[in-house]
Parts: sequence; C-alpha cells; structure tokens
Amino acid sequence: MSLSDYLLSTLGVYGLPMLFTILLFSSIGVPIPASLLLLASGSFVEQGEMSLLPVLGLSALGAILGDQAGYVLGRWGGRRITKRLGRFVGGEQQLLRAEKWLQRWQGAGIFFSRWLLTPLGPVINITCGMTGYSWPRFLVYDILGEALWVVLYVLLGLFFSDRVQAMSEFLGDLIWLIMGLLFVTVLGWNLLQYFRSSSKEAEGKASAHLVDETS
Amino acid sequence: MRKLGWHQWVLLLLFLGALLFTGLFGVRTVRRAIYWRNHRDEQIRPWMSVRYVSRSYRVPPQVLYEAIGQAPVPHDRRPLREIAREQNRPVEELISKLQRAIEQARSSPPPPPAQPLPPPVSGGRSP
Repeated sequence: MSLSDYLLSTLGVYGLPMLFTILLFSSIGVPIPASLLLLASGSFVEQGEMSLLPVLGLSALGAILGDQAGYVLGRWGGRRITKRLGRFVGGEQQLLRAEKWLQRWQGAGIFFSRWLLTPLGPVINITCGMTGYSWPRFLVYDILGEALWVVLYVLLGLFFSDRVQAMSEFLGDLIWLIMGLLFVTVLGWNLLQYFRSSSKEAEGKASAHLVDETS
Repeated sequence: MRKLGWHQWVLLLLFLGALLFTGLFGVRTVRRAIYWRNHRDEQIRPWMSVRYVSRSYRVPPQVLYEAIGQAPVPHDRRPLREIAREQNRPVEELISKLQRAIEQARSSPPPPPAQPLPPPVSGGRSP
C-alpha cells in the first residue's frame, strides 16, 4: 500500500486532527501528498461525513503554522542548518534559486507558492527567514495564499467528490506543467537578453568601424 | 554573433531541459484530462470508504455492503483497509469482492429501492 493510501486511510479513521497534522508537516517540507488529502476532505464534506468550516479552518491553520515553522527555521537556524535542509528539499542550488526568485518577486512569490506553485512553498519559507524578509508581511501573504489553496482544493474535492484520485493526479501534473512553463519563460528570457545584447554589441562595433573608415 | 560562453551553454542546456520537461508534462496533463472526461470510475483503493466507492461507481451502497457482509452504516467513513482489518482478511480480497458486486449490479437491471425513505422526523417539507 502506498503512502498516500495509508494517509488517506488515517484521514477516514481519525478525521480532523489527522488533517491538521499532515498539513502542518507538509508545509514544513515533509513530502506527503497534502493536496490529495484536501481533495479527499472535500469529498467527505460532500458526503456529509465531515463539516466544511472545521475542515477549512483546521487545514488552513495547519498549513500556516507549518509555514511559520519553516520561516523560523530559516531565520534562527542559520546557513548551516538550511544547507542541510537544502539537501533534503532538493539541493542548495534550489535554495539559492528560490532566494533570487524571492528577492525579485517577494510578496507575489510567497502568495503564488502557497496555492499554485506549491512544490516551491517549503523552500520559499526557509529562504524568507534566511534573508530576513519582514515577518508580518510574510504572515499576511501566507494567510492569503494558504486560505486560497485550502478553499480551492476542498471545493474541488467537493464538486468532484467521486473522482478524487484522478483529480489529484491531473492537478499534480498540471502544477508541474505550470512550473515548467515558468522555468522555460525565465530561462528563455535570459537567453534572449544575452543574444540581444550581443547583437547590439556587434552592431556597435560595426558602426564604430564605419565611423573609423569615413573619418 | 558572439560565441557562446560556458555560462550561456549551461543556460541553453537548462532551457532545453525545461522545454523537454514542460512538453512531457503537457502531454501527460492532456492525456489525463482526456482519460478523465471518459472515465468516471476510479480504481478501488484501500483508503476509499464503501460510500465513496458506491458514489464513484454509481452503485447503491447497500449492494456493496451486502457484498462484503456488512450492514449499511449511515455515516461510514471507515476506509476499506479498516474494514478488512476488522474482518481479519486482506484488503485485496475485499476489493475484488466489491468489484464483482459492481459488475453484477451493472449487468443486471437496477433493483427496486431496497429501503423506503425514512419518514421525516419533524418539519419535513411537503412535496
């Protein structure tokens, strides 16, 4: 039995406390399928086996607390621990990339990594703490993004309550597709800038040459 | 045009890698969406409850409960894994029983409703 099967079974048995705990750990960066759990909770709500408001409230609370833990870890843990953690979340390179991305996009980065580019979430929490990003601002963007994520996924689970597993697989691929498009755009833009600047340089040289010849 | 430096080569390789990755996930996403449109039934998994299976396969829950030798429970959130544990048998056995019951229920005409609706307790809306 897979990990997600096991976690979803525990959701059926233990309900809300399990949902809270799993979202907390997933926001810190433990690789567990939290989105699938939210969808399944939406389905349980639709079947009248869980109530909507506690599901939304506790999921959002778990996710937000997990993010704050990540932030604190980055802030007080220092580079040494984050380096170690960086290996865990996919290499220090990824941390550095997230840091650059964060400096450039700041609030938008935090907001979108909560509900759309979710694989970046834990890395951004840590880098926010590491770079000393303002905590109240982090909290506000975090609450907005996580609230949107939780509402979106629980409602999707509610509307497609008979196809939770397929929905989760589809959304998972869609998110990686969007991440890929983002990287293609950023890298493509960088390459384009390089070719533009090099062709301008060549033009500049050519015109300088022309001026030399005419004088 | 200027020759590419090692930095640009890395950038180009990353770009091509990202393009490949995106294409791959693009195809996967479209395939899933097409499959999803045409199939409603989900493969039965140990985390699903009897009521979830009944909903996904559009088979009355009573039929499924009967197939696994249980009395219908109104707000039953128990996953199949839990029911299998209670019955002291492997969950795969439970799943195959459910699958057989679903096939049977689909091949035979729908039976009349097994239970009449319970009378409204109080303040029920009149039709």
